[in-house]
Amino acid sequence: MSLKRILFLGLLTVMAAGLVFAAGGSQASGGSANSLEIWSIQTTGKGPGIFERAVARFTADNPTIKANLTMIVNDAYKQKIAVALASGQTPDAFLSWSGGPMYEYAKNGSIVDLTSYMNANNYKDKFLDAAIAQATYQGKIWGLPMQNVSVCTVFYNKELFAKYNIAVPTTIRELEAACDTLKKNGITPFSLANKTQWTGSMYFMFLATRRGGTQPFINAVDGSGTFLDPAFIYAGEKLQEWVNKGYFNTGFNGLDEDSGQARQILYRGEAAMHIMGSWFNSSALTESPEFAAKMGIFKFPRDEQGSGNPNTVIGTVGDNFYHVASSSKNQAKAFELISHLIDDNGIADALDDGRIPPVKGVKLSDPILAELFGQVQAAPDIQLWYDQSLSPEVADVHKVTSQEIFGGTLSPRAAAQQLQDAQAAYLKKK
Amino acid sequence: MAGSKMVSLRSARQHSIRIAAAVFLLPALLFLIVYVAYPIVESFITSTMAWNGMGRKRVFTGAENWINLAKDINFWRAFGNNVKIMFLSLVFQVPFAMALATFLDVTERRGAVFKVVWFIPYLISSVAIGVLFKYTLDANYGVIASISKLFGGGGVDLLGNPRIALYTVIGVVCWQYIPFYMVLYLAAYGTIPVELYEAASIDGATRSQYFWRVSLPLLRPTIVSGMTLSIIGSLKYFDLIFVMTGGGPGVSTELMATYMYKLSFVRYNMGYGATVASGMFILITLVALIVISTLNRKTEL
Repeated sequence: MSLKRILFLGLLTVMAAGLVFAAGGSQASGGSANSLEIWSIQTTGKGPGIFERAVARFTADNPTIKANLTMIVNDAYKQKIAVALASGQTPDAFLSWSGGPMYEYAKNGSIVDLTSYMNANNYKDKFLDAAIAQATYQGKIWGLPMQNVSVCTVFYNKELFAKYNIAVPTTIRELEAACDTLKKNGITPFSLANKTQWTGSMYFMFLATRRGGTQPFINAVDGSGTFLDPAFIYAGEKLQEWVNKGYFNTGFNGLDEDSGQARQILYRGEAAMHIMGSWFNSSALTESPEFAAKMGIFKFPRDEQGSGNPNTVIGTVGDNFYHVASSSKNQAKAFELISHLIDDNGIADALDDGRIPPVKGVKLSDPILAELFGQVQAAPDIQLWYDQSLSPEVADVHKVTSQEIFGGTLSPRAAAQQLQDAQAAYLKKK
Repeated sequence: MAGSKMVSLRSARQHSIRIAAAVFLLPALLFLIVYVAYPIVESFITSTMAWNGMGRKRVFTGAENWINLAKDINFWRAFGNNVKIMFLSLVFQVPFAMALATFLDVTERRGAVFKVVWFIPYLISSVAIGVLFKYTLDANYGVIASISKLFGGGGVDLLGNPRIALYTVIGVVCWQYIPFYMVLYLAAYGTIPVELYEAASIDGATRSQYFWRVSLPLLRPTIVSGMTLSIIGSLKYFDLIFVMTGGGPGVSTELMATYMYKLSFVRYNMGYGATVASGMFILITLVALIVISTLNRKTEL
């Protein structure tokens, strides 16, 4: 082989290697000042349109800036954003659900402190106080409350209740009597898809909160109490009792909420009740208008032996808080972009889609939403979803153990112990 | 004189061949270092840190993660699930794939349509199979539940029952991978010379003797490599199971890889996640070494 040929091949190799590194290098940057990347998870119903129009309004005001909207399905988003944060390739604006993960982002300096933007022109007064409170961590505002007020409640099939002469239950005992009547007539009382885990957690939260109020959870989280509190043990025991009585559909632990496997049972009239967040209203309207016409809601009943206030609501006042990434090259414009999501047009769009935007003075024409908003306004306090208030590590333990309570593979006490151990380990680490 | 000149010519030639070989290998070597060696080293480094996976704050904690790993019941339970999958995959996949390949070899062209049909599962991506089976096995409206209801039974819960879920998942894994081994064995059948069968038939061999005395011994090296692939594959399994059950209900279908994923990206505990990944690396390497050395020894006998 001639020297010339060797040199040629050598050069080729260097060029090839250079290409590889160049490709790696250009991807790692967080976009330029003239383009903004925003991630959203509103992939269903009218969601995508609402976002596209908001982005178009922003582009009309800022013709020189290219705004890129990426829509990602809920559970996939959680994975994608975690990977993006870990590798430092974060979009300019993205969402979280407040609570644990948002605190992690804030602690790490992954997101920008928005307090000064929110205080400018009293912009923050536009939002519900509780929503701002939820976006606040260590005295600073980290997110813009964007999406709906979302709380969970009991959705039910009014037609089935009427057919079997069941009145809306106001106590747990009445609820159980209703379940027994439904069961006797071959109707599954509750439809549940618990592969997703946070779905079953809603039942657990309601039972625990009606039994002991919000205080046991607050105490367990800050370490002054524990997850072995009777309220949590009771919730677990009640759930296992309900599972044994057949109050849930077959195979709930293997069904997937995101694929609609629980909603299907409800739409077909084979199950009568569904405990779910208020977003279910909009799903029902688009997926099964026939069912939506028979749909009603009621407050999760009072616990006769419990000390919890029956008006306490579980959920978030504004879920989907939009953050500006600290890696963004144009943070002011990124904030402007997210504020376009909740301008007057955005609010009108949200109402049209059957959602409750977290702003003051909205008028709701949808009867179910009006009723839900009434529940929220009557609530003395709001219990944020457990899996969002807890640190991600402990939240996962809560979700897995509550799934095991449902599956009967873990006793309520053993589950409580595991959760307590995880929380204690977390507090020690902090 | 002429001889010594020849030698120096040959050595000069060998020298230039070596340089050329090095030049050709360099790109591959670079890729290996960047995409294989470096990540492995990096996860071992991360495994000695407390790191949440975000930002630059990494704290060196020495062997703490490794001590936790050794005591972690969930990790060993996940390893146990991997071993179950490994064992049952071997038990079902090898004979099944062998039977299908034998059928195709015997029927030759007449069986060509089956060759395509049976290979289809392997062509579908794991994630698509996971989604497909999530609906197929739906406890209320899936295929099996519907058949059961047709005969007056109730729903059939295959993915949500913690005692059954792992076996259901293994069944789907087998469904997906049997075609791969089938093709492997079929290819090996193609290498068996026809003369051997002719000789056997002259010796008066029966049909079953064809298989046991001629085909099987000659297929042995292929069976060994198929088993090795299956064992290593079972230990690092992830995608299909993650989609179908997410490791649940509870921890009943949790595998080492799904556990690692959850630690790193759901619980934001990247340091410990890296420890699990490194632990997996060590375990899989050990198992692979043992399997390869013992199986190879057997074939030599």
